[in-house]
Amino acid sequence: MKDMNMESRVLIQSNKIEARKVQVYYGTNHAIKDVDVDILDKTVTAFIGPSGCGKSTFLRCLNRMNDTIPSCRVEGLITIEGEDINDPRVDPVQLRAKVGMVFQKPNPFPKSIYDNVAYGPKIHGLTRNKAELDDVVESCLRKAALWNEVKDRLQAPGTGLSGGQQQRLCIARAIATSPEVLLMDEPCSALDPIATAQVEELIDDLRSQFSVVIVTHSMQQAARVSQRTAFFHLGNVVEYGETTQIFTNPKDPRTESYITGRIG
Amino acid sequence: MNNSLLTQDKRTKQRNAAEARFKAYGLVAILVALAMLVWLLVSILSAGSPAFRQSFLTFPVLIEESIADKSGTRDPAVLTKVTTLGYAKILAHSLEAEIAAKGVDLGAMKPKEIGQMISEESSATLRDMVMANPGLIGTTIPFTAIASGRIDGYFKGRVTMESAALDKNTSPEQLILADNLRAAGILKSEFNPGFVTMPDASDKRPEAAGLGIAIIGSLMMMMVVLLLSLPIGVAASVYLEEFAPKNRWTDLIEVNIANLAAVPSIVYGILGLSIFINFAGLPQSAPIVGGLVLTLMTLPRIIIPTRAALKAVPPSIRDAALGVGASKLQTVFHHVLPLAMPGILTGMIIGLAQALGETAPLLLIGMVAFVRDFPGGLFDPASALPVQVYTWTTRGDPGFVERASGAIIVLLVVLIVMNAAAIYLRRKFERRW
Repeated sequence: MKDMNMESRVLIQSNKIEARKVQVYYGTNHAIKDVDVDILDKTVTAFIGPSGCGKSTFLRCLNRMNDTIPSCRVEGLITIEGEDINDPRVDPVQLRAKVGMVFQKPNPFPKSIYDNVAYGPKIHGLTRNKAELDDVVESCLRKAALWNEVKDRLQAPGTGLSGGQQQRLCIARAIATSPEVLLMDEPCSALDPIATAQVEELIDDLRSQFSVVIVTHSMQQAARVSQRTAFFHLGNVVEYGETTQIFTNPKDPRTESYITGRIG
Repeated sequence: MNNSLLTQDKRTKQRNAAEARFKAYGLVAILVALAMLVWLLVSILSAGSPAFRQSFLTFPVLIEESIADKSGTRDPAVLTKVTTLGYAKILAHSLEAEIAAKGVDLGAMKPKEIGQMISEESSATLRDMVMANPGLIGTTIPFTAIASGRIDGYFKGRVTMESAALDKNTSPEQLILADNLRAAGILKSEFNPGFVTMPDASDKRPEAAGLGIAIIGSLMMMMVVLLLSLPIGVAASVYLEEFAPKNRWTDLIEVNIANLAAVPSIVYGILGLSIFINFAGLPQSAPIVGGLVLTLMTLPRIIIPTRAALKAVPPSIRDAALGVGASKLQTVFHHVLPLAMPGILTGMIIGLAQALGETAPLLLIGMVAFVRDFPGGLFDPASALPVQVYTWTTRGDPGFVERASGAIIVLLVVLIVMNAAAIYLRRKFERRW
C-alpha cells in the first residue's frame, strides 16, 4: 500500500527542470562541474553544502541570472519542460517571468508595498485594469502571509517593513508574475527565528502551486521544508535524493561527514 | 607600571594629544576658509552694491525747435541729421533754466559747463524719444537724465574735490553745484534698474553700462548647455555603466572622459572656434556657439558624477528587477535612474555652474565683442556675464570697478538661484526614495 503511494506520487510529479552535465566557469575558475539534477514539479528541493560549493551559482543558472556577470560562462544542458533555456532564441526576460527568484538579502524596491507587488504584473501586462491588479496584489500578499500586516498601509514604502516582512514582500513580488518555479537563495539567512518559521511555513504552502528550489546553509531547514535534497561539495553534486534518505541514510561518506558536522 | 584607571599612562596621553592636534588643525583650516569667504563677500558687496544705485537729474526739458528741427518740416530724414551733440545742448539749456528757476546757487561755475554733468547716454535717450515721436518738438516734457559718472562717483565717494581738481572731465565747482542740486531735489540717488536691463555702454560712460545683454546671453547659453548636455551626458553614462561590454575599448573611452574633464577650458574655446565658426560657419559672438562650446566642456564633467551615481545604486535593486523579469532597459529606467537622480542632478548643477562662470573659451569665439543691440535669438551676437566682468575690469574709467563688482554680485545671485533649484529638486526626488 505504502509502495503504491510512492509510485503514484512519482508518476504525478513529472520533471520540471532537467540539468545535464552543467559546467560553470568564472573566468578560468571551474565553479560547477558536471552537475546533473532533476527538479520535480510541485516539490521543494533543497540545495545544501558548505560555503563556496556552488549551490547559489547553480541556482542562478536556472533563471540565467548569471548572464549579468560578464566573466561567467555556462555549459551543458538545462531544460524547463523540455525546452533548453540557453537556446539563443530564449529571451531571459520571459524565462525569468516563468522562473521567479527570491534573494538572500531582502531587496524590496524603494517604492510602496503595492507597487513592489504590482511591478511584475505591470511590466508583463498580466492584468487588464486596476481592479484586476488590485486583486493580484491582494492574493499575492495573502499567499505570502503578509496581507493582514500591511493591508492598511499599502502605499507605505516597502523598505520601511521589518526584515522578515521585507522578505515576505519579496516572495509576494516573485509570485505575482505567476511563475512555475520559484528559486530561493538562502531566503532566511537574514531573518530571526520567528520570521524564518513564517517563511518556512509559506514555502510549504507554495509547494502546492509551484516547484520551489531553496538554497540553504541550515540543514535543519532543509530537513524541515524540503522533499528532496542535493548535497553540493566543491562544485559537484555529491548526492541527490529524498530528503529523509539524505539525512537518515546518506550513501556518500562526504554527505555523512557534512550532515554530522565534520566538514563544512 | 601604573594600573590605575584614574591616571592616564604616557601612551594614552600621546594619543590624546595627537587627536587634539588634529582637531585643532581642522578647526583652523575651516576658520581660515570661512574668514576668506567672509572677506570675499564683504569686499564684493561693498565694492559692487553702489552699482545698483545711480544719481539721476529730474527736470522739465524744452525740446527747442531751433536745434531739433531748424527746417520746421518734421521730416524724419532731416531730423536724423541732428546728432546727440545737439540734444546734449537741449538738455544743458533746460537744466540751466531749471537751476535758475529753482534759485540754486551756481557758485563759481560757468553755465556752459553744466552740460558736462549730464551723461551723454541721456542725450541719446532723448534723441530716440524725439525720433519715435517728432510731435514732442517744441513742447516741454518731464525728463530724468543720468548724472555723469564723475558726479555719480562723488556721491559714492569715488571722486573727491582733490581728484576733481586734476580731472579734465569734471571740476570741484561741478561737485559743489551737484551738492546744491541735491539739496534742491533736482538730483536724486535712486535704485538703478538699468544696471540689469540696459546694454553695455562705451568706455567713457560707465554710468550707463548695464548687464542686460550679458544676462540674456548667459541664460541662453545655459539653456543650450542644459538641453544638450543633460540628455547626452545621461545617455552616455547609462550606456557606459549599464550596457557597454567591459573591454579594452570601453576602458579607453573611460580614460579619455576622465582626461577630457581635466582639459583646460580655453582648449575647448579653440576647438569651438575651429569647428563651429571656421568649419560649420556659425556666427561669432552668438549664444548658440557659446552654448555648444560650453556643452563640450561640461559633458565629461557631467558624465563622471552621473556614472558614479549609477554605480552607487545597490546591485541588489538590479537583481530584484531582473529577477521579476524586467528587461535591462526597464531595470535602468524604472529603478536605477530614479535612485541615481539626486546624484545626477548634483553633478548637473555643478557642471552648469562651472559653465556659467567660464570666461576663457568665450573670449576665443568672440563673445568679448561690444554688443549694443539685444539679441533676438540664439544666432544674434550677445555677451556673457563672466566676460562682461572681464571686459569691465580692463576698462580705464574707475566707474567700471563698481560695475564689475556689481556684475559679480549678479553672477553669484544667478549661481545661488541655480543651486537652490538643484537642492529643491534633489529633496523632491529623495522624498520619493
